[in-house]
Amino acid sequence: MKLRILVADDHEIVRRGLCSLLQKHEGWEICGEASDGRDAVEKAKQLKPDVVILDVGMPNLNGLDATRQLMQHDPNFKIIVLTITDSDQVIREALDSGARGFVLKSDAARDLVSAVEALQHKRMFFTPRVNDLVLAGFLDKGHAISRNEPPSLPTLTAREREITQLLAEGKSSKEVASLLNLSTKTVETHRSNIMRKLSFHSIRDLVVYAIKNNIIQIDLPPQMKNPTGSPAA
Amino acid sequence: MAIRILLVDDHPIVRQGLKTLLAGHPGWEVIGEASDGMEAVDKADSLRPDVMVLDVTMPRMNGLEACRLIRRKAPGMEILFVTQHDSPQMMREALEAGARGYVVKSNAARDLLEAVEAVSQHRVFTALNRRDSVSSC
Repeated sequence: MKLRILVADDHEIVRRGLCSLLQKHEGWEICGEASDGRDAVEKAKQLKPDVVILDVGMPNLNGLDATRQLMQHDPNFKIIVLTITDSDQVIREALDSGARGFVLKSDAARDLVSAVEALQHKRMFFTPRVNDLVLAGFLDKGHAISRNEPPSLPTLTAREREITQLLAEGKSSKEVASLLNLSTKTVETHRSNIMRKLSFHSIRDLVVYAIKNNIIQIDLPPQMKNPTGSPAA
Repeated sequence: MAIRILLVDDHPIVRQGLKTLLAGHPGWEVIGEASDGMEAVDKADSLRPDVMVLDVTMPRMNGLEACRLIRRKAPGMEILFVTQHDSPQMMREALEAGARGYVVKSNAARDLLEAVEAVSQHRVFTALNRRDSVSSC
């Protein structure tokens, strides 16, 4: 029986590249494709793939929150997240969300097949940097927080994170309500709760928060990038 | 018409996706790949493609700088940017640098073939996220 893989990335050209790479492997098939996190969650629930590959920076629902939703629905989902950065924060969020594989997009051509093979055999796959951090006691949150990290902002619920992403992407409360099948009034209530929890007074504060916390990702022009930095795909 | 194409993007998986798309067009051939601007300049010189498909944001040398250099060295070669920057300002910079075409990566599957065809015939092709303009000169 073939290993069934669901591929989610908002760029069709990247999905084509990923599918082309994976389809070369005998015994694997692409059972579905998704172009944002919400689409991925729906298709994963419907198609029940053996492995789900999720880009982190997707519109409507990012890959990390999509991972959380899928793991909540069924903890047996095997998920690989694809990211453009292996910053400490993204790594920690990916591990916390329940992903079993973590692959840098720039290394996908080299690492993705190994990652899928690892999950197929009930193992995990992480980049060397993740392994280093885990070895360094990265997951020892109590110590890490007390030693190195500033006091964190209050935690948002999964629904509040979803709404934060949509608002930070520029959608109105009415548009958010329509996307999530909620009433505009319910969205407004969530919006007020988010702003109150985070002590924010403007949508600008919320956008900055969403960027800093990898809820949304932005593309910077080359002039604003570190020449050795890792660009988006 | 046979067209020889050089693909330049720092992400191999994106190059793979572009190659898969271009492979469907009979007569077109991907003759080489490069992963940054400096390599693109070298390969443009050695391979002399008809069309270069070029990313903007890359390590070592970005696509805009590479485009300016290549246009000086090989003015007959046409350059088509395929980038994640869905911005009129970036598009203007790309055209000022000497590119003949500009396609947003999120729409590459829709626009790439038409854009390669146009620039190979020395026509301008520009398309931001919403299909803004396709013109020839």
